[in-house]
Amino acid sequence: MNAVFAIVKRLLASNKISFIMTALVVLCATSSGDVVLSNGNYTWLLAVMTPFFFVFYDYTKLMHLGASKRDYFIGCLISYSVLALGISLANTLIHLLIDPLYPAQAVLNMMDVCKWTENGIFIAGVQQTFFLLQVMIFLHVLLSMQPHWYGWLTDTIFIAIICVFTPIPALRRILSGFFQIIMLNRNAVLHICISLLLSAALSFAGLCVLKRKTL
Amino acid sequence: MSIDEPGIYCLLGRNGAGKTTLLKSIAGYQNITNGRIQVDGKVITTSTLDIGVSYIENFAKHFNLPVRKLLKIASEVNPNYDYDFASEMMERFELDGKKKFNHLSLGMKTMVSTIICLASNNRVVLLDEPVLGFDAIMRVEFYDMLTESFRKHPRIIIVSTHIIEEIAKTIQKLIIIDQGSVRFFDTLQSVETKAFSISGLQKDVEAATQNLNVIGQDTVGGLVTTYIFDNPPERTASLDIHPLSLQDFFIQMVGHKGGAAR
Repeated sequence: MNAVFAIVKRLLASNKISFIMTALVVLCATSSGDVVLSNGNYTWLLAVMTPFFFVFYDYTKLMHLGASKRDYFIGCLISYSVLALGISLANTLIHLLIDPLYPAQAVLNMMDVCKWTENGIFIAGVQQTFFLLQVMIFLHVLLSMQPHWYGWLTDTIFIAIICVFTPIPALRRILSGFFQIIMLNRNAVLHICISLLLSAALSFAGLCVLKRKTL
Repeated sequence: MSIDEPGIYCLLGRNGAGKTTLLKSIAGYQNITNGRIQVDGKVITTSTLDIGVSYIENFAKHFNLPVRKLLKIASEVNPNYDYDFASEMMERFELDGKKKFNHLSLGMKTMVSTIICLASNNRVVLLDEPVLGFDAIMRVEFYDMLTESFRKHPRIIIVSTHIIEEIAKTIQKLIIIDQGSVRFFDTLQSVETKAFSISGLQKDVEAATQNLNVIGQDTVGGLVTTYIFDNPPERTASLDIHPLSLQDFFIQMVGHKGGAAR
């Protein structure tokens, strides 16, 4: 287990650029008007950028240091969990402490937009954690697949789904229903369960991709 | 091909012969299209998540951290790692522990990679052209390190290289591959006792090598030189019989493509 924690430590340490860029955007982003975006929303940038580093930067280097694929994979999952919790905590704190200071009439935080705050701020934070974990694992799997034909096929399928499902009302409802379940879900228990199930399924897919990964 | 005993094995082959492919496949970093690779009875493919084989390629990329920290991280992510050996080697090769990896010369970078790989203490260690970028002194030091590492922890170490004669003192067995298949796998001793060149007039040479394993032939004017891997024929006044150097033996084994007609 020590090897896994050493990998977690290294993954997080080599993710400095993501941390710095996220921090800069969170601190520097401004918006004006009666309805403004909460700066806490930009903490999600970290969740989007991190998988890029884990997949494209850290994997080869850790393998060259003698890490096993298994430890790398477990290390990534633990790091994503830690980061999901950290991002969620940061956004929740910003929502609680910074957002009320805005002079604007309404401050839009993603936790409100996704209706998670209807269950109280603590539950909203938990929902956000599981949602971000799912997003990071999804990106990790998608990015890991990119050097292979099935990665390109997956990209094409996603683009096709969006292009076909968006203009047709009946299909758009299906697409919207899917996002209602995985993201805009006010039912905390259902949302957390769905996020966990999807994370588990995506992790399994990620493991299959890792098993085909070459150096 | 089956490698059963611990030892230092030298993997030779021309550019594009498949050395790196073979090593990567043994390490589980690449799948093979035909055949099967087993390490300790376990079938190796890219699906094997924990193989216990160390592989380092030339120009391996590492985190841009000070060398000492890099060695420390390697010891943390690899449970069998011999950190003392790695530190000792770092000192001996005068690697500046505070210098970041990207600031090292090519030779030093390769040395760091090699130390990390050898210190891993896995039962199989694969070094892909480790002496690339080394000057003559570093190469000698590298061979010493290899011998010392093996003496400390006997295991299977396979080294691919193009600098054939230099490594001869260090290795026990030789593997020659060509066009993706193994052409030769035996001890160095067998090369010393069986690889010969036989020169003389064509009819004399042909008569002497009639039932022998001929691996190559050169013709200059009326004089023929035949290369054999077999017990040498009786010495006669009309024949010049000389043992083949390792490099010449290798050339005769795989040198059929390009160059002068043989």
